Amino acid sequence: MEISFDHHGHVTVAAIAGSLDALTAPQLIEALNQIIAEGHNRLVADMSRVDYTSSAGLRALLGALKEARTQGGDLRLAGAQESVKKVLELSGFTSILKFFPDAAAAVASFSG
Amino acid sequence: MLQREGIGVDMVVGCSGGSLFSALIALGYDAGAMEQMTLRLWARGITGKLYYPSLLRAALPRLFGFNQRFGLVDDRPIMTSLHEAFGDKTFADTQFPLYLAATDMQTGERVLLKEGRLVDAIRASIAIPILFRPWEVGGRLLIDGGAADPLPVSVAIREQCDIIIAMGFESPYIRQYGSLTHLVSQATSIMINNLLKSTYAFYNLAHHAEIVPIIPELERRIDLGDAHQIPYLIEKGQQAAETQLPYLRRLLASTKP
Repeated sequence: MEISFDHHGHVTVAAIAGSLDALTAPQLIEALNQIIAEGHNRLVADMSRVDYTSSAGLRALLGALKEARTQGGDLRLAGAQESVKKVLELSGFTSILKFFPDAAAAVASFSG
Repeated sequence: MLQREGIGVDMVVGCSGGSLFSALIALGYDAGAMEQMTLRLWARGITGKLYYPSLLRAALPRLFGFNQRFGLVDDRPIMTSLHEAFGDKTFADTQFPLYLAATDMQTGERVLLKEGRLVDAIRASIAIPILFRPWEVGGRLLIDGGAADPLPVSVAIREQCDIIIAMGFESPYIRQYGSLTHLVSQATSIMINNLLKSTYAFYNLAHHAEIVPIIPELERRIDLGDAHQIPYLIEKGQQAAETQLPYLRRLLASTKP
């Protein structure tokens, strides 16, 4: 898994690529916690290059969501591939956080 | 797939229709044998015959008597198939721990069956309300395990499994209704589909165990007696399993000492 961050004003886009699973979750958790600790709590997770997610990956995202909201911000998801989106729907993620078709729309939503 | 890849299993938990295959897996049957048994035992029309006394009891309850042991479908063909498949085998005959989930009809709570005759446990676990008579096991009147817990991963979590392969599916919804059983089936599907998703969501996030989902997408409606659709179901299940294989291989490789 690869993750990189790009700042768009007060919103930070985390571009994630690869598989979010038990093997890569620790890396994701560390990276997201770090960025939130630096004060960047308005996050967009660009999932367009994520090809797989497991329960461990979902827990990592949930942890970041909780932390960001505790800090007064939010984590929003963007561009999930169909297979990943199905898992997110099945696991109830679509009912507890906001989804957008792409990162640009997700970034813009923080201005609304 | 698991057999082909040499992936061993430490325990099996089954619910509803899954109880049949869970029991076969726990007894040590290989995939080919299970497929052949399914095709032979789940013959077309196995659930197609109505139990006419039930119709009379439903229409004229005071005259013919009505109680909770009600089922619209004649379950004798299913019982014949179950006896042929499992005989008098019990949970003690399994090669590793097997748990089958049913639902207590009086209290609504999940009942975990882990001893006694497999025929009785499976019959209880598949007892779809209204369609099949509830089945008594251990003094409790039991119905389909899906009514309480359609994806009992909690059992595997409780038994401290670190990697859980969760197999299930959402029942496709009926588009045209031609009978009372269609209506009952649709209502049941709506409730169980939502309960399955809720269960999966909760346990996915509540515990550290890695839950690998094998949840095939069914594009067509499969009715209970649609034995001719078994090859389609097997194919869809295989496809869903294969998509999880790359990650499963990496995960298992990482846990090897």
